[in-house]
Amino acid sequence: MNSAERITLPEPVSAPDSKNELALLSWIREFAPYGIITLDRAFHISIWNHWMEIHSSMRSEDVLGKDLLSLFPDLDERKLTLYFKRALEGESSVLSTALHHYLLALPSPLRETGGRHMLQTSRIAPLIAHGAVCGIVIVIEDVTQRENQAEILRQQHGRDEILSWALAHFLKTEEPRKTVRQLFFKIAEYLDFDTFFLYLRNIETGHLGLHTSGGVPADLERDLADCPLLGEAVKAPEIVVFHQVQTSLNPDHAVLKKAGVSAAIAIPLFANDRPLGLLCFATWSRESITAEESDLLRTIAQYLAIAVDRENTNLQLQNARMELSTHAQLLEMKVKERTSRLQETISELETFSYTLAHDLKAPVRGMIGYCNVLIEDFKDVLPPAANLIVQKMARTPERMEALIKDLLKFSEISRQEIVLSKVAIDPIIEDILTMRLPGVRQATTVILPLHEVRAHKTLLQQALSNLIDNAIKFVDTDAVPKITICTERVFHSSPSTRTGPLLFNSAESAELENIGAPDDAARLRIRIWVRDEGVGIPAEVHQKIFGIFERGPFAERYQGTGMGLAIVARAVQRMGGTCGVESEPGKGSRFWIELPSG
Amino acid sequence: MELTSSQRDALTELINIGYARAAAALSELTGHRISLEVPEVSVHPIPEITVKLQQLIKGEVASVNQVFSGPISGNAILLLDSEAALFLNRLLTDRPNMPELDGAAREVITEVGNIVLNACLGAFGNLLKIQVSFTVPSLQIESVQKVISSITVADRGLEYALVIHTHFHMRVNDVSGYLVIILGVTSLETLLLELRKWEARELG
Repeated sequence: MNSAERITLPEPVSAPDSKNELALLSWIREFAPYGIITLDRAFHISIWNHWMEIHSSMRSEDVLGKDLLSLFPDLDERKLTLYFKRALEGESSVLSTALHHYLLALPSPLRETGGRHMLQTSRIAPLIAHGAVCGIVIVIEDVTQRENQAEILRQQHGRDEILSWALAHFLKTEEPRKTVRQLFFKIAEYLDFDTFFLYLRNIETGHLGLHTSGGVPADLERDLADCPLLGEAVKAPEIVVFHQVQTSLNPDHAVLKKAGVSAAIAIPLFANDRPLGLLCFATWSRESITAEESDLLRTIAQYLAIAVDRENTNLQLQNARMELSTHAQLLEMKVKERTSRLQETISELETFSYTLAHDLKAPVRGMIGYCNVLIEDFKDVLPPAANLIVQKMARTPERMEALIKDLLKFSEISRQEIVLSKVAIDPIIEDILTMRLPGVRQATTVILPLHEVRAHKTLLQQALSNLIDNAIKFVDTDAVPKITICTERVFHSSPSTRTGPLLFNSAESAELENIGAPDDAARLRIRIWVRDEGVGIPAEVHQKIFGIFERGPFAERYQGTGMGLAIVARAVQRMGGTCGVESEPGKGSRFWIELPSG
Repeated sequence: MELTSSQRDALTELINIGYARAAAALSELTGHRISLEVPEVSVHPIPEITVKLQQLIKGEVASVNQVFSGPISGNAILLLDSEAALFLNRLLTDRPNMPELDGAAREVITEVGNIVLNACLGAFGNLLKIQVSFTVPSLQIESVQKVISSITVADRGLEYALVIHTHFHMRVNDVSGYLVIILGVTSLETLLLELRKWEARELG
């Protein structure tokens, strides 16, 4: 219980200890750290303690007996007399600072910052003597200092709140440039600034230009576009405060002055010693800016600088990525363009070789015809030596015709449009054997069943017939050819024996090759074997023999154009398959073609 | 001890008259329309009151305590749970929300408590035609348990407590809080006697 309550308690029933009572009264008058006033029932002052004398500058003898309400006429205006009247009815009242500010209009003990009046908490209670209310006691406590401290704390709290809010904002945002305007409006409002402008350096040019502003009239915005006034602030990472701009004679402040700014603060934005820009807040009304405000803005500017720096880095990264991607697109376009030119050339070449081969046929026929005329009609006229030469001459165009035929075939295979479908191998073998001499059928063993493949029937027939023809051809002079044909299932596609590219590779087949191998890799494949017991092929030429005009080591012994296996390889390649050989001289050869299962 | 239903009705009406005055005073003070719901009244022997209060209000409470004396004397306590206290302070002062009651906020709660208690006790005095006087209110923030012990420690021979509890309701934003008044009385018989006299006057 405090002293005020003690005073208002009913009088003790026992006889008063007058000595102590007097001592207490004396303490109240002289030393009590509260304002204590007693009034009689007509509100006339009966006690006005020393504290009241000091704080009201009214001496006790000057106020005693006077009506309190006439000394402080605003009590009535502020409807506070009600509380005095209630006290006469036995009620006590508390008047809090937050709701009433003060009871008596006394000067503030903190004249600089505390406002006009002393802030007070007051208690108004009945004075009771012999069981009846005989007057009123008023206790006044000065809480100006306390409220002042509380206000500082509240401001600190507000600053902390705005700082953490700004920090959270900058941490969250990816694009501080875009979102910063709303943030600054809030900060300007909180700190009682009328306007703000933010200058940022262009990443590429380094030019310092107005990025965003708020509360700036349109005509002034043009003046401010290039940051003309703050040259001194941009270079050093230190805050510049412009006080009393309107009376300043500094020509640098002319634009601010023209705009009616009374005080401004400019905070350079630096991140890792890189100057990023400048942040300004200004007021039209206040003459100066406090250190607390500049501290708060400095921290916010630091947050902003870090966020802008991060955004700059992101932007640069994005630009680099875009450049890379543009470059890649350009490259791809070039590749496409060149590929298409190449394909055109190849196609022209193919046409050219076909036409060439085709057109060569007629003159060769002519040569053969004339040779035959020479041999048959002028055999007796020509000297024997000349006859021999004519006979040799007649054989050359025959070979040339065979070559041209094979070239045409190869060219045809490369150019032909193909559609892959399920193909049974048995009828193909049967067709081939039917067209050969009866001995070939006898020499051939087909091991059934033959698995179906996915192929183009004509191409497959061409490839198999070439392999069978080779098997019959490449045997020792007196030996009887022996051929075995069978199929087997394989689960992983095998690379061709010849891995290098074949000539005359057209665009169409190139696409087919692309789809061929990897997509079908998982698919079941069929390997067709054509085995013979002929002369065999040394390992070092296994690759070579699949090339165009390549003939094995027995070229002299066996006739041929060197196109047979090239045609096989080309046909198989166009069907998305692979082919190869396993062979040793003297041990026969085992040629294979691998195609997707049908 | 149980009140008869007519006694309870009479008490509720009596207190409601006081509440109306309190609500008017608060509304005038704040400029917000504040209404107080019809209170519930019950009488308990002091030793049993803790249980009753713990049902109504939890945790730390702000209590405004005012001693009154006269033909009926006792101890009037207004209890506000801390949420309601903070809310009232915010509503009345328009200050930013503070997580704790600071000095100024405590005074505001004291003043509000004072208004409500004065209104109730004043209504008692006026209607029962008895002179009651009050001490200046004091505010404590403590547990319900402590509030009770402060009543019993006072040793004024208190026997019974009148528990009046209600919601207060701010029209402006539809938020309500809990408000409990404990009226410790030395002589319930005196109170009931005075109550009967009042009823007789009202009816007569």
